[in-house]
Amino acid sequence: MHECGTPLWPCAMTGAAACLAGFDGISVVIHGSSGCYYYPATLLHTHLYGTFILENEVIFGSGDRLREVISDLSGKGDRIAVVTTCVPSALGEDIREMVSGSELIVVDSPGFAGDLEAGYQAALAALGPSVNPEQSGVNIDGISLADPFHEGNIQEITRLLYRAGIPVGTVFCRDQADKVKTASPFTIGTNEDFGSGVGTSLGGTLGIPSLRTTLGKLAGIFDHADTDPVLKEIDLQEERLIHAGDKFLRRYEPPRVAIFAGAAYALFAADTLKRYLDAEILIVGTRNDLPEQPGGQYRVEKLAGLEAVGRRITESDPDLVIGSSFERSLCPDRAFVGIIPPFRGQVRLAHYPLAGLGGSLYFVENVLNACMDRAP
Amino acid sequence: MSLNHLPASSCRTEGCTLTGALSVTTQIRDAITVVHGPPGCTHHNFSLLHATSVENDRVELPPLISSGLSETEVIFGGEGALDRILDRAISCNPAAIFVLSTCIVETIGDDVAAVCDAKAGVPVIMIPTAGFLGGSFQTGVNNALVALAGMAEPSLGMNGGVNIIGEKNLEYEVDENFAEVARLLSLLGLSVNTRFVHNLTYGQIDSVGAARLNVLRDPALIPVGEYLKEHFKTPYISGFPLGLSGTITFLESVGAACGIDPRQAIEKERGFEQDTLSDFADIAGREISFSTLFPTHDGERVLRNIAYAFRLDVIPSGKPVPVPVTPPVGIAGVRRMLHRWRRAIHA
Repeated sequence: MHECGTPLWPCAMTGAAACLAGFDGISVVIHGSSGCYYYPATLLHTHLYGTFILENEVIFGSGDRLREVISDLSGKGDRIAVVTTCVPSALGEDIREMVSGSELIVVDSPGFAGDLEAGYQAALAALGPSVNPEQSGVNIDGISLADPFHEGNIQEITRLLYRAGIPVGTVFCRDQADKVKTASPFTIGTNEDFGSGVGTSLGGTLGIPSLRTTLGKLAGIFDHADTDPVLKEIDLQEERLIHAGDKFLRRYEPPRVAIFAGAAYALFAADTLKRYLDAEILIVGTRNDLPEQPGGQYRVEKLAGLEAVGRRITESDPDLVIGSSFERSLCPDRAFVGIIPPFRGQVRLAHYPLAGLGGSLYFVENVLNACMDRAP
Repeated sequence: MSLNHLPASSCRTEGCTLTGALSVTTQIRDAITVVHGPPGCTHHNFSLLHATSVENDRVELPPLISSGLSETEVIFGGEGALDRILDRAISCNPAAIFVLSTCIVETIGDDVAAVCDAKAGVPVIMIPTAGFLGGSFQTGVNNALVALAGMAEPSLGMNGGVNIIGEKNLEYEVDENFAEVARLLSLLGLSVNTRFVHNLTYGQIDSVGAARLNVLRDPALIPVGEYLKEHFKTPYISGFPLGLSGTITFLESVGAACGIDPRQAIEKERGFEQDTLSDFADIAGREISFSTLFPTHDGERVLRNIAYAFRLDVIPSGKPVPVPVTPPVGIAGVRRMLHRWRRAIHA
């Protein structure tokens, strides 16, 4: 049984939809009820299709309904991906058998099978990504439509690569569907929680130290690359960041912080706050499974339920909370910065990154403003 | 442009009984709702309910927990998981526990009622839901309201107030719609007794029997209205006031049901209607079209009447104006919609 209580993280079905719907040229069909369809449809802000099955299709089989929906979509020219929800999965219907003749991508990722990341990886595996050794450029991975920073991350990393003269290969998972099979041999990450495992990883881009290291590796791989302009920009902007942090510390104590997010973003937040604000990291609670080496200098644990998160906030008594609007609702009087969905109660129209240089600037800027707004 | 790709058959899109019932039970602030199913079902609904609360300026999180079924329980049965989570919920000493099941639980055949019946010390109330296997979103709402009404004591005397029954708690403008109905009732000298069910404690449920009249949010709640009429002898009005003429009709109906002469209230409301017609006189004579299909038949009628009153020509080539999911409530609702129409007309 999963951790009981109030789950704070979406299910595998949503993760699969987040992966597949990121590719232009794939029509994603949620095979299940309308209730199951509405959540990914509203969370991912993208086109999804549904079979919207009814009770009689559970009793007599959902093949006719699935064929009807697929038939309606077949004229679009897209590949069709079917994501199963709990009931069709438990019934054990053979989706491929039902719609024989169609080149379907089938992802069996019912909600009871795991969390968002599990579904995302199952869908990526079903796509069968592969590297074309002749393909130039570098892939960007870690992109999930469920991440409110995904578009900002793509824009930021694409900008930095452009400045360095390095073309972008395939963006996993936000690209043309046909580029899945022709990925570049090298990959850089924006969010390790959604790593693709495609190509040779040259590192991540969360946090300035990581970004510098990755740029160094890129410079070593790509002969024609010129990373100097990017490194100069990083030096200049990091000076501003350090200055802003120092100015804050002239008046205030470093923040005592509780962080709740996916593991990659949570550790990025901890490292960044430690580096620029000498923050005291009281707790790092991850929504998803912990990475193998979860940053030894912090207390890191998986906390995917509301009660556990609430308990840790009460125990640690932070003056800054990093997380989602769930955490903000638990402690509305503490300084808060959102880095993980949902961000309820806010209007967000522009795309902001957490990866790259812009991501660090955006994050620290928000932390400083939140802390100063709540300062006594 | 709509981003939703929905099938032509509307019965397929009527939502989940679970979500409907949760939109009611989570409004009982000192009770806990247990969703017996995989964690994802609870998360999806928790996030939705949280969004609705925050957007209506309420920071508290919905009191909702999951039995957290995994693949193992789907294969071997989930009654043990339900039993454990109920014990945990009871240990929190809530005023009541509502138990809602999901479609996967219906499929695997857990005996939810038996597990609930075995608990003591706190009212454990099973509400018939089974995801899409239990009916539609509205079925879930109705089942939850009837189950809660069944917990109310019938012995209280009448207090002269009016109940608001079955507000759409997931509606973005739920409080504005309530305020409009309360304003109209006040024109007749009436006050609201209970918002059944919106932001109540379990103990406040008892007050539902004390009203002189029930105003249902819409006619889909008639089974609930009938249940309340049978149990508490309370008459009901089958829907909120929709549009301009619907507002006047509402005042007449409430007046008739409560034995109050509505003429003074209607005269005052006609004045508000005239003010509104003047305020939006600049859009008179413009050509509009309705940008999306009407979710309800009633909706088209109400909006066409509003267009007629404001001398707007509805033609296919007219400027597309937004169509609300539910028709505007009262003249205040019409005004809010007209601001959006004016923006669209001038776009």
